[in-house]
Amino acid sequence: MISHRLSAAALASIVLFPSLLRAEGAAPVTYNKDIAPIVYQNCAGCHRAGQIGPFALTDYASVKRRAKQMAEVTGDRTMPPWHADPGVVAYSNDRSLRPEQIALFAAWAEAGAPEGDPATAPALPAFPDGWQLGKPDQVATMAEAYTVPAEGKDIYRKFVMPMNLDRDTWVKAVEFRPGDPKVVHHILYYLDTSGKAREMDAKDPEPGFRGMSQSNGDFRYLGGWDVGTQPSELPFGLRWFIPKGSDLVVQIHYHPNGKETKDQSSVAFHYSDQPTARPWSIIPVPPHFGMLQGIDIPAGAKEHIEKASFVVPQDCEAFSVNAHAHYLGKRMEMTATFPDGTTKWMLKTSQWDFKWQEDYAFVEPIKLPKGTRLDVLMSYDNSADNPANPTTPPKRVVWGPSTTDEMGVITLAVMFDTKEQKEATHQALRVFLANQLIDRLLEGEDSTFGMLRGQLGGAGDKSMEAARRPLLALDFNGDAKLSEAERLPAIAFILKGPFIRNLGAIGFD
Amino acid sequence: MIAWKCFGGGVAGRWSGGVAVALAAVVSLAEAGPLEAGAGKGAGVVRLRDAAGRMVEPLGERGQRATLLFFLTTECPMGNAYAPEIGRIAREYAARGVRCFAVYAQEKPEEIAQHLQAYGLPMVGLQDPEMQLALRTGARVAPEACLLSPGGEVRYRGRIDDRAVKLGKVRLEPRVRDLRDALEAVLGGRPVAQPITPAIGCYLGFPTKSR
Repeated sequence: MISHRLSAAALASIVLFPSLLRAEGAAPVTYNKDIAPIVYQNCAGCHRAGQIGPFALTDYASVKRRAKQMAEVTGDRTMPPWHADPGVVAYSNDRSLRPEQIALFAAWAEAGAPEGDPATAPALPAFPDGWQLGKPDQVATMAEAYTVPAEGKDIYRKFVMPMNLDRDTWVKAVEFRPGDPKVVHHILYYLDTSGKAREMDAKDPEPGFRGMSQSNGDFRYLGGWDVGTQPSELPFGLRWFIPKGSDLVVQIHYHPNGKETKDQSSVAFHYSDQPTARPWSIIPVPPHFGMLQGIDIPAGAKEHIEKASFVVPQDCEAFSVNAHAHYLGKRMEMTATFPDGTTKWMLKTSQWDFKWQEDYAFVEPIKLPKGTRLDVLMSYDNSADNPANPTTPPKRVVWGPSTTDEMGVITLAVMFDTKEQKEATHQALRVFLANQLIDRLLEGEDSTFGMLRGQLGGAGDKSMEAARRPLLALDFNGDAKLSEAERLPAIAFILKGPFIRNLGAIGFD
Repeated sequence: MIAWKCFGGGVAGRWSGGVAVALAAVVSLAEAGPLEAGAGKGAGVVRLRDAAGRMVEPLGERGQRATLLFFLTTECPMGNAYAPEIGRIAREYAARGVRCFAVYAQEKPEEIAQHLQAYGLPMVGLQDPEMQLALRTGARVAPEACLLSPGGEVRYRGRIDDRAVKLGKVRLEPRVRDLRDALEAVLGGRPVAQPITPAIGCYLGFPTKSR
């Protein structure tokens, strides 16, 4: 027999929970009594026919066959996929297993995967076929299938899905269906009301168009889907607002799978008769995926740290959190420090994995009173030891839209009582960006400035010196920095101009 | 945590250090591996059916310079992602006198035929429900490669290259192409520098029939 050697993690589980193996008189671990309830609850949602799991885990035979594998991947928490650190924040969509559940998998594999009493077998939940949320009001599909090669680097590509709405529409749920689940890894949704996406699609000879490009300011981020996400309605009666004439732009992350295949994915919409129950939006820290954060990661850096803090200007309630970075991302953390001085984790991820772009939904909305400070820490591993590093040998990496560049943001989804609170929050985020712009110009750091040059607008001198001159004129005490007071006229000037507007929408409508 | 799982019982100590050795030793004691690399010669003839039901003697001498086994499953995403490289190796080295087989433990013949065709693998697929070849060579996961002398002695067993880091985590480019290095050594009449490497992938599973 070669099947009974277990991983360290699985063994550790047995050491920690020895009763599972040896307790006198304890009932042996069996499929029907112990394993099936966990598998049906935590695995079979994806691991069933027609879904994204590479094999089904829906009966004894299929689970027994993989008993040792399951002991191992549950033991090191590769599966079920869940990347927030265990035991820090309670999330309602947490798929991860508790230590005693992990120990059951280890003990069961060790015991030879016995079936147990069929009388105690739980019923497989009634999973719906087809669209998981029922018949949608509208389905948008990629106009043409995109060919994904057998191997090579991951592909990030955007596709336009015209919605042809002749009136403004409230949407309560969106459901994504990959054309070939073997190669679609995650997607991000954007709305485009500018028509730019169609132009870019038309210019690219293949279906869709590449990457994110500088004109991403025209696209409004809506949310995402990744392997493992079960579709659900927006909570608390919240609705997305889709202006008439919008195109849905779907950025798909493809992961080549060994054979060439074609993907033609679809998105289903469920409309709502009612407008959103409350105004809501997102608070991205730092905004625009960290575009003005000055991210600059030296080649070989094992743990390069970026920090950003934002003070919530209005009362609001946070209901989910999400992190975004590229291949070098390592730690992604956000805390909230309340006006009374107490601090609470919003998200703690010590092993960020770019492949899992998860929305973490709080069990209960978290009240963020005006004056709450959100502190974000993002770290990056740009060493050769990072197997995900897309560049060998490592090179200096700065902010940018392509997969060999980096980004970084942690985004809270929040709801408000009034539209005024929401608008004031958006305005505070614009001020945050204006401050970051001032910082970057004062630093005179060329990579960020090079990226910004095209956004400066107007004719005339577009050199960094020309951009810095009006700022330095505000530096009355001559210390080559701008104090909070010295910044005020600069911020007012920047917010009046086109620059921040050209970066794109802040938050949701 | 996962990396050392692949070290077979007897070879663990040679390949890793520190805690991993201690843990691996515990595992090995729990159940010593029945096979060592290099086992196989004189251990009996292996006869298996191919996907079309024909009897094949994969380790038999047919004038080949070496025999190359790829242990595969139809479903393992790690194994399937390697299919293009497996196909290239099979094509290149078959032309240089290496007999190549894809070995499946749990799959039905029609599943094997379909898999070879879909992933463009130019090899004879073998049904090995009793896992005779895995037991004989010590292969544990898919994808795992085993290179044998014409007489059936294991010259190399392990990963194809070092792209796989753990399940679901893969380097974009390999730094070491272990199997190709082993093939070149064997065809060049040299000893293989790294005869056993850790393969990372999906477990081959339980034998479906007892022997």
